[in-house]
Amino acid sequence: MEVFLQLLINGIMLGSMYAIISVGLTLIFGVVRVVNFAHGELLMVGMYAVYLLFLKFGIHPYIAALPVVVLLFLIGVLIQRFIIQPLLNADEHIQIFATVGLSTALVNLALMVFGADLYSVNAPDVRRSLEFGSFRVLIGQIVMLGSAIALVIGLHAFMQKTTLGRAIRATAQNRNAALLMGVKVDRIYVISFGLGAACVGLASALISPLFPATPTVGTYFVLTAFVVVVLGGMRSMYGAFFGAMIIGLVDSLSAYYIAPDLKEVVYFAIFILILIFKPTGLFGLGRGTE
Amino acid sequence: MTQHTVTATPATSPLRLIAQITRPQVYVSLLALSLILLIPLGSGSPFLIHVFVTICVFAALSTAWNIVGGFAGQLSLGHMMFYGIGAYTTALLIQHFSLTPWIGMWIGAILAALVGVVIGYPSFRLRGPFFSLSTIAFLEVIRLLAIHFNGFTGGSAGLIVPLKIGWAWMVFSDKANYLYIAFGLLLVTIAVSLIISKSRLGYYLIAVREREEAALAAGIDNTKVKLQAVIISAMLTAFVGSFHAMYLTFLEPATMFSLGTSIEVAMFSLIGGLGTVAGPLLGTVLVVPLAELARGWLGASANGLHGFVYGTVLVLITLTLPAGLVGTFGPMVGRLVDKLPGGGRRPEERAAPALRKLEGPKGEPILVTKDLVMKFGGLTATEDVSITLRRAEILGIIGPNGAGKTTLFNLISGFLKPTSGTVAVVGPKGAMISPTTPDGFARAGVGRTFQIVQPFGRLTVLENIMIGAFLRHPGVQDARAVALRVAQTVGLFDVKDVEARNLPIGGLKRLEVARTLASEPEILLLDEVMAGQNQKDTMGMVELIRSIRDTGVTVIAIEHNMHAIMSLSDRIVVIDSGRVIAEGDPNEVVRNRKVIEAYLGEDYVDAQGL
Amino acid sequence: MKLLMKAALAAGLAMSATSAIAQVKIGALYPFSGGLALLGDESFRGLELATEERNAAGGLNGKKLEIVKGDAVDPNQAVGEARRLTSVDKVAVVFGTYSSSLSLAATQVTELAGIPYFELGAISDPITERGFKNLFRSNPTAKDFAASMVDGIAEAIAPALGVDAKSLKVAIIHEDSLYGQTVAGYQSARAKEKGVNVVETLPYSAKTVDLTPVILRLKSAGVDVVLQTAYQNDAVLFFRQAKEQGFKPKAVMGAGGGYSLRETAQAVGYENIEGALDVDFTQYKTNPAAAPGIGDFVTKYKAKYGMEPRSGHSLANYVGAKVFFDAMASAKDLSAPAIRESVLKIDMPIGSTASGWGMKFNDAGQNTRVKPFLMQWQGGELVTVFPANAAVAKMKTGLGQN
Repeated sequence: MEVFLQLLINGIMLGSMYAIISVGLTLIFGVVRVVNFAHGELLMVGMYAVYLLFLKFGIHPYIAALPVVVLLFLIGVLIQRFIIQPLLNADEHIQIFATVGLSTALVNLALMVFGADLYSVNAPDVRRSLEFGSFRVLIGQIVMLGSAIALVIGLHAFMQKTTLGRAIRATAQNRNAALLMGVKVDRIYVISFGLGAACVGLASALISPLFPATPTVGTYFVLTAFVVVVLGGMRSMYGAFFGAMIIGLVDSLSAYYIAPDLKEVVYFAIFILILIFKPTGLFGLGRGTE
Repeated sequence: MTQHTVTATPATSPLRLIAQITRPQVYVSLLALSLILLIPLGSGSPFLIHVFVTICVFAALSTAWNIVGGFAGQLSLGHMMFYGIGAYTTALLIQHFSLTPWIGMWIGAILAALVGVVIGYPSFRLRGPFFSLSTIAFLEVIRLLAIHFNGFTGGSAGLIVPLKIGWAWMVFSDKANYLYIAFGLLLVTIAVSLIISKSRLGYYLIAVREREEAALAAGIDNTKVKLQAVIISAMLTAFVGSFHAMYLTFLEPATMFSLGTSIEVAMFSLIGGLGTVAGPLLGTVLVVPLAELARGWLGASANGLHGFVYGTVLVLITLTLPAGLVGTFGPMVGRLVDKLPGGGRRPEERAAPALRKLEGPKGEPILVTKDLVMKFGGLTATEDVSITLRRAEILGIIGPNGAGKTTLFNLISGFLKPTSGTVAVVGPKGAMISPTTPDGFARAGVGRTFQIVQPFGRLTVLENIMIGAFLRHPGVQDARAVALRVAQTVGLFDVKDVEARNLPIGGLKRLEVARTLASEPEILLLDEVMAGQNQKDTMGMVELIRSIRDTGVTVIAIEHNMHAIMSLSDRIVVIDSGRVIAEGDPNEVVRNRKVIEAYLGEDYVDAQGL
Repeated sequence: MKLLMKAALAAGLAMSATSAIAQVKIGALYPFSGGLALLGDESFRGLELATEERNAAGGLNGKKLEIVKGDAVDPNQAVGEARRLTSVDKVAVVFGTYSSSLSLAATQVTELAGIPYFELGAISDPITERGFKNLFRSNPTAKDFAASMVDGIAEAIAPALGVDAKSLKVAIIHEDSLYGQTVAGYQSARAKEKGVNVVETLPYSAKTVDLTPVILRLKSAGVDVVLQTAYQNDAVLFFRQAKEQGFKPKAVMGAGGGYSLRETAQAVGYENIEGALDVDFTQYKTNPAAAPGIGDFVTKYKAKYGMEPRSGHSLANYVGAKVFFDAMASAKDLSAPAIRESVLKIDMPIGSTASGWGMKFNDAGQNTRVKPFLMQWQGGELVTVFPANAAVAKMKTGLGQN
């Protein structure tokens, strides 16, 4: 029983990590309608940025979050403006290939610059575990959970309360109608992609102290992030959050009770079943809940 | 309509096939292909032979992938699962049963086809990127299972093919033999791809890729043709996998079920030209040697540079040449080649086959709906609609906007399943039947057009019409002849070679009619085909519909052009808020109080004192 | 046909032998690009140093050795490069390969071409279990690694703890690619044979982002000794998360890989990896009495590359290459049968090379006088602690500084 509870705690913490990565992917898909296969590589870029700030200036990763979020926002803007925008009316094939190509290029760029070694940000304060009775949680994990919740609520409020947020929602729901109503759709797309990438920037600052950076680190997370996004109904922030929690729990429990090397099989199987039998996502939040 | 009649030998005659070789497209392609064999054999260098074996293997993989990814437009990024299944099946059969790979590869191919069906059947419902994601997920699952069940597969430690030398075991000391087999596989794959592209299946796959709904309306069973494509593609991929395993003599899950290679194979097609026969080969021939050279120049000095260049080039190609090499330069090269000796010949024309005879007594009930109800959530779009269509009449359906006319069309063509009530049409043997799918309705003889036009944009006008014609005429030559006849009838002959996306709206409306007409329906459902036509064309359309009816076809038309519909229809049904409010002779219907109310409002009726 | 082939083959061999009057071309097949490049290149440096040393000392019976590089990133590339080396560049012999799957693929080519292949670093056992005649391996195999690890429990760990080896609960955890699955497979077999009490065997993906469930299983099973076969990422995760979950086994032992790399220790923190045991190719904090010449090697390495060796791979390749050069020099010619005859004659006792290994090849071409040493992270250095004659420090118990 004690182990089970510890696994649940671990699953929720893992889930908050997946959530914070998946929120950006959801935002980009929900608004721009592009599946960003280079999403994991944005995370990788962010993690190296956090590492460099730590190495050169001794900046704590949580403080580095600020510049890295800005950096990733800019990278997202550039990607949307120069790669996705020209392809908006092209086949989905072409968009997929473009982001796959971007992903390959970024992984290898990192390999050129940093080599295949892993780099780790040393932040022992974040990696300290708190003990509650016999249960243990890292400070970094609690911060991650809090940030994930704050991010989802914050983004939701932004979408509901601000003019820009409402314009983004209008664009997400009906591009043509938004155009007719005078919304500058192209600009909304650029901002949305930037925001999605910025979310990844926040994720990379929070993950860096817990997880070493390598050129392929994005690939460790990206397939899981896709699973989460599909599970959550593809366009819903809250859906992504709860989808991430479920995958976190499945990851933790199946690794213990089934076999650690089959945990991916378990959640890929869930992913395939959801795609096939409930394409609107587990909570049916497939539409208009941005 | 008889001016296209030229006597011709049947397309299947072997003499005619041999005669094809005098065409420049054929002999230039064959010469180019033979270089793949002649260059390495001429040099005699085992290294060059290896490079060309690799080219053959990847070109064959990419060509096979293109059948699903290009023709059918289903972007699989997990195609290496079929390669791996072929490879492992063959190798395991050698290991456990000493079965020669020549038989093992067939078993592998059958297994791959089965897996393809099991995966494809549910996944084909997914659109675009989600199909790709699900293929990735399947690939990962298979790879992880292959690692986990290491007792059976050898796991990550790999499986070693015993070095039993000779043709029976497909393992050779003389490397040229590998090249013969690889080249043979490539030829087979390209031949299959070519045959598909020239056959009904090829046209159907493109139709499904471009517009699923219009394909259904043309009587195409979307899932069936996609599954056919997957079966063919999976089997070919598995054959290549079997061979490559014998060539490498070493199998491990990471290589055999590699996501990276799956993407690479798809990329060769993209670079060469998606959905073309020559594209995948061209892409491979270009990229593999370049990658090989680049590795030599860049590899050791700068780790990652090679992959960086690769990824960047991929992004640049999507931005600058989205149609790939063949799509961009193909027509130009084609024209150049056509100037060679023997070129410039047009395909011979042939007589269109006779129209389908429509039998059955005039006036018999041909389509009957009973108490049709359609609810969308809380909204009732169709309420207790019972109408009977009689053979060879023209029935007009009118009603205000949002009255539920198009919903009714969707119900009687199978695009919507009624919440309750039934639709029955006369079957081939005269009994009433109730198909369950849109394509089922089309095959039963219910042809429909779409209010919002649904052309296959990348196909020419003639090819669009052929998609319809294939329903009754599976042969390409027959379908082409029928399509030409229909193009003439509908007034699209002059633009028959224009890509459909370039037509103006009036032309697209006529194309809707033409495609449906080419499927030789018994019942023709026309949804606002007069909209967007000028006065003269409208008159022409009215004449056309009358002449169609005179051939025994029954017509239901939704129309807002009151003048046209009143003059055209034998009978009118008026629908408002999903209900039939009036039915009968056009002249009576226009005087019906309920009808006027529906169109002009109660106040107007009262004020007029009607 | 067959006869013709044989004739052609013989002619080819004769040509390669006679054309090399002033120099002898040798192939160097390693992954120089791609994900394995770092240690592939490190391995190559060993061969490069051995070659330069040999050339400086007059070469091979007066003929200079010339290295021709082949870059293999995946099995298909390995086949291609092996073909190129044997047919285009007509090398006399090929050295390689660091990675086992690349070696398995490349050696199938050289065997059919009748060119000797000297494996200096790949550890998968099946490489030398295929009955090849022209394949020789100087380094220890996965089975040797597994044996050293399992035997280390009874020979080193139990005595240091002062307990009976049979009372220790052992867990085998490993990443599930070729490396982990192979080593762990032999560990299980060896453990069964020796009556070691294995309570858990858990494979996982090297790309995993969380090993907590694995650690919880070890914790609930009350595991005393963990044998892990890991790359870098998963080694780092294991140490970090074991600490976070308060899992303190009596000993943790790795099979090279991530355990031998300084970056792993830095990411985990020296204070946390303190006491972790490691079985691998000989590393540099080893008693020169047991590994004569190890100091010279490090000096030469630093002089040429301006840095400390990045891992023991260079040393292993250096030692193997030197021995095979000697065998080539004493062969009557460079034909495959002559080289085989000469290699099988080698007889060097344990403790006679810079890596401490002996050299004696069995009929399959495998060196039978290799046993990897047991090392331990102490004070931020990986020092050899077992066997006693090679040790430079005394083995400690427990994990982490408390």
